[in-house]
Amino acid sequence: MIHIKNLSKVYTKGRNEVVALKDINLEIKKGDIYGIIGLSGAGKSSLIRCINRLEEPTSGDVLVNKINLIHLKNKELRKARKKIGMIFQNFNLLHSKTVFENIAFPLKLVNTPEKIIKEKVNHLLELVELSDKAYVYPSQLSGGQKQRVGIARALANEPDVLLCDEATSALDPKTTKQILNLLKNINDRLNLTIVIITHEMEVIKEVCNRVAILEGGNIAEEGSTVDIFSKPQNPITKHFINQDENLPKSFIKGKVLHLSFTQGSATQPLISQITRDFDIDVNILSGKIEYIQNQAIGKLTIQMDVDCHRLLDIIKYFEKNYVKVEVIKQ
Amino acid sequence: MNEWIELLTPSLLETLYMVFVSVFFTILLGLPLGIILVITREDHILPNSWLNQILSYMINITRSIPFIILMIFIMPFTRLIVGTTIGTKAVIVPLILATTPFFARVVESSIKEIDWGVVEAAISMGATPIQIILKVLLPESMSSLVLGITITIINVLGYSAMAGAIGGGGLGYLAISYGYHRYQTNVMIATVILLIVLVQIIQSTGNKIAQIINKK
Repeated sequence: MIHIKNLSKVYTKGRNEVVALKDINLEIKKGDIYGIIGLSGAGKSSLIRCINRLEEPTSGDVLVNKINLIHLKNKELRKARKKIGMIFQNFNLLHSKTVFENIAFPLKLVNTPEKIIKEKVNHLLELVELSDKAYVYPSQLSGGQKQRVGIARALANEPDVLLCDEATSALDPKTTKQILNLLKNINDRLNLTIVIITHEMEVIKEVCNRVAILEGGNIAEEGSTVDIFSKPQNPITKHFINQDENLPKSFIKGKVLHLSFTQGSATQPLISQITRDFDIDVNILSGKIEYIQNQAIGKLTIQMDVDCHRLLDIIKYFEKNYVKVEVIKQ
Repeated sequence: MNEWIELLTPSLLETLYMVFVSVFFTILLGLPLGIILVITREDHILPNSWLNQILSYMINITRSIPFIILMIFIMPFTRLIVGTTIGTKAVIVPLILATTPFFARVVESSIKEIDWGVVEAAISMGATPIQIILKVLLPESMSSLVLGITITIINVLGYSAMAGAIGGGGLGYLAISYGYHRYQTNVMIATVILLIVLVQIIQSTGNKIAQIINKK
């Protein structure tokens, strides 16, 4: 659905050059909810804005629905943009127009007949559960309601893709969850491809089936959300998953392992098996279960006093039983 | 009382006429000018720094000239357009010339207040520049524009009174000819009171309209 090839973006201000994106390659399939996560300044905002050319890429190609947007002239670009919906962190609604008029706005741009506008807008109002607020002005809405209007407006032209630029960053956790559920719902119902950029791992965990971690304008890691969560490779990914920060320093002695149990491995009593088989004592430092799109991943941090050879054997044993192991301290 | 009304009414009507016609043309010319000043900025929808700079300089130059000097300075131009350099009609030309750049700046600052994100949202929906101007920039800044128009009207009222000094009509002329040249202070005071009342009415009406339009 979206194909990004060798995309680079360099900002030039006077003599200063700031490289925001370096040679990015991404493929987003139809029906994906694709998350792009990064710290501020990682280039994620530039990346999503290059997709509909709100920012002009310095080089590279962006294909949406097989159309290369980079080669389009103004008029064709405007036409292509109508099939790429976008929602924003600050909602960006028109203050001078009611909720109804805001949602009707993209339809009015293409001179849709009033009757069809009315039908479509009412339908969208129902979809985002705001039928009772149709004739209210945005200033009277809560943040979550404003974003619902933003979503309805973005869907008015029946887009193929929905771009979400930090769409939940201005909302509280509960409202964030509601908005994410709405996005998921839309994704299911309309088979709409959604691209989400965020700095919150919770957002990715909640809805994204794939994720790319962006750092310093590069993609540090990319893959299915479950894989990334159960075995993060990159330090920045670990930072987001927040697994190496929880342990007090005084606990990190001996050998410390980090284990991730996915569905295949959670049914066996592996810890008690290794204590018996290897005749060692295991100290559990922390444990939790995370749900990634309703799929459970068990996380366990354990500590033990063994030598390197035994450690290798233990790791092998775990991996044979489909537990992903990461050595925190050896 | 009757003689007061007889004395003041024609001048008041002249003033209202001058102000109305001048403001009408000021909006007609200043509004597009102000819009162009915003949208041709480097970071806006139709960047054209060359046009932007030229317009900006022209506006600054016109605004630097004191109104009373401008009136004398452009007399040949005024004669060319309305055929005379004295009276109500003749004042309208310099009034428009002096207030249009002022109003253009007012429009510019009103439109600049609009959050760029809203414009960006319209761009992301495939809006053309004309659609952005008509459906985003103008409606979103309407409340602020109404206040700007109010200020402009009061400005024009002040300038029109000044025009009395060089033979323009209206309340300013009445105040100068009776109050200054003929030492009838009471006429001067009456015109000043009338002007105060006018300004109050204009300002409070403007405030009211702006308040009704404002949905923020």
